[in-house]
Amino acid sequence: MSYDTVVVGAGLAGLVAALRLTEQGQRVLVVARGVGATHLAPATIDVLGYVGETRVESPAAALPALLAGSPDHPYRHLSAERLAAGLAWFGTHAGTLGYTGSVDENVLLPTAIGVPKPSAFVPRTMAGGDLRAGGRFVFVGFKGFKDFHPALLADNLARARLPAPVTARALVLEPPASPRGDLSGRVVAGRFDTDGLGDWLIGALDKRTDPDEIIGVPAVLGLRDADATWHALETGLERKVFEVATLPPSVPGIRLFDALTQQLRERGTSIVLGVRAAGARVKDGRIEAVDVSNATGPVSHPTGAVVLASGGFASGGLELDSFGVTRETVFDLPLVGVSGSERVRFAAGYFDDQPLARAGVATDDRLRPVGPDGHPVYANLHAAGAILGGAVPWKEKSGTGISVATGYAAAEAILAPNAQPVPEAVR
Amino acid sequence: MATQNTPLSSLEADVLVIGGGSTGVGVARDAALRGYSTVLVERRDLADGTTGRFHGLLHSGGRYAVKDPSAARECIAENRILRATAADCVEDTGGMFVSTPWDDPEYGDLFLEGCKATGVPAEEIPVAEALRREPRVNPDIRRAFLVPDASLDPWKLVWGCARSAEEHGARILPYHRVLGLEMEGDRVVGARIRSERSGEEFGVHATVVINAAGAWAGQIADLAHCTVNVRAGMGLMIAMNHRLVHMCVNRCKRPADGDILLPLRTACVIGTTDVFVPDPDETEIRQADIDLLLDEGEKLVPGFRQARALHAWAGVRPLFEDTAAVAETRDVTRSHALLDHSSREGIAGFLTITGGKTTTFRLMAESAVDAACLQLGGARPCRTAEVPLAGSESHVLYRIGNRLAAREPVPQAEEIVCECELITRSHLEETVKQRGTTSLDDIRRVTRLAMGPCQGGFCIYRATGILHEGGTIDETVANQTLLGFLEERWKGVHPILHGDQLRQARLDDWIFQGVLDVEHLPA
Repeated sequence: MSYDTVVVGAGLAGLVAALRLTEQGQRVLVVARGVGATHLAPATIDVLGYVGETRVESPAAALPALLAGSPDHPYRHLSAERLAAGLAWFGTHAGTLGYTGSVDENVLLPTAIGVPKPSAFVPRTMAGGDLRAGGRFVFVGFKGFKDFHPALLADNLARARLPAPVTARALVLEPPASPRGDLSGRVVAGRFDTDGLGDWLIGALDKRTDPDEIIGVPAVLGLRDADATWHALETGLERKVFEVATLPPSVPGIRLFDALTQQLRERGTSIVLGVRAAGARVKDGRIEAVDVSNATGPVSHPTGAVVLASGGFASGGLELDSFGVTRETVFDLPLVGVSGSERVRFAAGYFDDQPLARAGVATDDRLRPVGPDGHPVYANLHAAGAILGGAVPWKEKSGTGISVATGYAAAEAILAPNAQPVPEAVR
Repeated sequence: MATQNTPLSSLEADVLVIGGGSTGVGVARDAALRGYSTVLVERRDLADGTTGRFHGLLHSGGRYAVKDPSAARECIAENRILRATAADCVEDTGGMFVSTPWDDPEYGDLFLEGCKATGVPAEEIPVAEALRREPRVNPDIRRAFLVPDASLDPWKLVWGCARSAEEHGARILPYHRVLGLEMEGDRVVGARIRSERSGEEFGVHATVVINAAGAWAGQIADLAHCTVNVRAGMGLMIAMNHRLVHMCVNRCKRPADGDILLPLRTACVIGTTDVFVPDPDETEIRQADIDLLLDEGEKLVPGFRQARALHAWAGVRPLFEDTAAVAETRDVTRSHALLDHSSREGIAGFLTITGGKTTTFRLMAESAVDAACLQLGGARPCRTAEVPLAGSESHVLYRIGNRLAAREPVPQAEEIVCECELITRSHLEETVKQRGTTSLDDIRRVTRLAMGPCQGGFCIYRATGILHEGGTIDETVANQTLLGFLEERWKGVHPILHGDQLRQARLDDWIFQGVLDVEHLPA
């Protein structure tokens, strides 16, 4: 079978690209080694949270400053308008997660250790945690759930730098008896879906919180019915309730993965996990087929275009071997941000600027990986997400923003092959 | 331990031990068992120096059988004693010496002769049998020999000794630095001590002061105007994920760099190198040494460079030399040295015990306390060869599956804080209480918290949250603890960061910076 596009990678960037292409009538195949970073990251769409040490209030307004300091950043290929268009499209394609937000304004949500973190688009269940307006917050933990420590969160948050006064306190509740004393986020979320934990929580919080308090709970309100549970909590308690993202596995991230893959499957798109794309058949500077290894051996999938969304080092899209050589693992593409003949030496301080932090592929404005000469390696290969070099997304708080925006932009470039290259508007 | 937080204006003791490595706690335990009142001071945590940074090999003596027969004899004798008295610290992995294609197979004959002469049980086995036992070992080995090497947990050993000493009345004071030795004429009568935690200073008056500071023994001796020449021989170790070998696998050749690979708890460790360093506190890991160990590992276990390296660290051997300088530190004897400064420099009440190796720590302690007895009114018999260590009373050797076996009957009975090392919440809380510490690094040394594949990616937030919930620390200290641990961990991670461990490190970056944003915690 041949495809219009093969997408390599089932993280946020790959799924966004695949869904956009599918929606526009393409026959798409998604192949991936496994689920992507959706299961690790909070489902917030962080477009740009920091430029250096400066906390960003408006990602769109801060783009010039970002690009001044990081000229090879993936956002250089997108204008603020295109960024906004991609994110707006995403907001309407995220199922019941119900994103709100804009590229013009960051909200500040508390992390599980009590640091206000800037995000541009957030799921409905998290939006109530915006700290900018201040207020009285209470953070609720569940006994036995080890990945959320409300007291530390509250104590840190009370001392955080915020535009309006915030008070915070912690509360630990003991959920109805469970045979398990070691609770993961997935297990607690499952109990919200099936054991009616939401009703218990309403009863438990009604007496222990004041009507003007804003209630933060760990992001475990369910995998399937979180939106309904959250809604029931807000109406039942008549208080604002919100989820706080915590350690992986990320329950809201899994919801997002499920929402995107469900739409793909409904449209007949195959998502094949547990396989490895490695290599291509090439003719006249174009990829004609992608080679995919599965348990029974290699299969070659003829295709019109390819989106490489295989991730960075964390997802295996990049690898550094013990001799200090960095490789792009699917097509052996040229990389930027890697040391040449010099052996990589990481800096001695954990928070220092680290070599390889910006490693990845460089692209043209159509997001096609380019070689040292600046020309596309393959005319029909596009890259999206964490495989793109030039960003330090975990420091910038830009990872999910890059994935959504470039996943969408890669799809657009494939859908309109003859369109004029996008102007590098924001430089 | 609870005692370390008690204010101390001054202490009286028969014996003051300086140094909290295996030798120091061994001396303290030995002295306490003989009925002497004993105080031990250590400038940092117990086992924070050489002991906690060695490869973990309980020598059979095979390694020294050819070139250092007396060291070999000591090793096999102590090996047998520790199996009996420190069973919970010893895993009976067995040891195997192999002749790889890079080693002269005839050395095997010398090896067998040396083992026979020194009483180290050694048996040649067919190569096919060796490969059956160790399927990952280089299939081109030409000879293989079995010896009773074992894997020794240095932290369990040190804490077992320390608890045992305390049970017999000793006071063990980690984080207590010696500021100076107190002299009365030509006699050392005690030391001036500062608590590194509270800043409080106090004196310890003792009849005998035993300098067991290992590679730092020269610095302590200087305080009494005595001279102890200890060279610091830095050795690099790399912990690899999982056990690539079941036994302690040694190259059958003259001891050299990177020729030992042994299982230690959930990991395996390759060692080591030997580089003279002028200052035992300055142990910079060089890329060339990392590459050397990886290349030597590749000779023992093909594919070693693709295996996952978790952590690298360097320890310093205390190498005693009495006279002229020696070029190669490995050629300095690995036997220990007991120095009575009354006969050397005319300073009474002051002994130095240094050199040696962890395998023979008990013997070193015995000889030091024997010498101390002479200054304390006469011989008292040593009991450490018979009395088991705290935690080893049942004489059951440690097995890798012990923690799992303890958890399995009631799966998920409580939170598992560290999945890599199967550490439960109550285990963590008990350790905090018992040790009176809130330093994650101290807790790591007792529990192995954060020493598995994720290097703390998941457990550090949890452990910090639990410490803070316990009410013993406020958020400022909690944040410092977490950030300090991340920096400390990075020191051992960044030198070997490649392959799957870089992948893990990037995931940890996402957790700490992307999800929690610890970089912007309030100062």
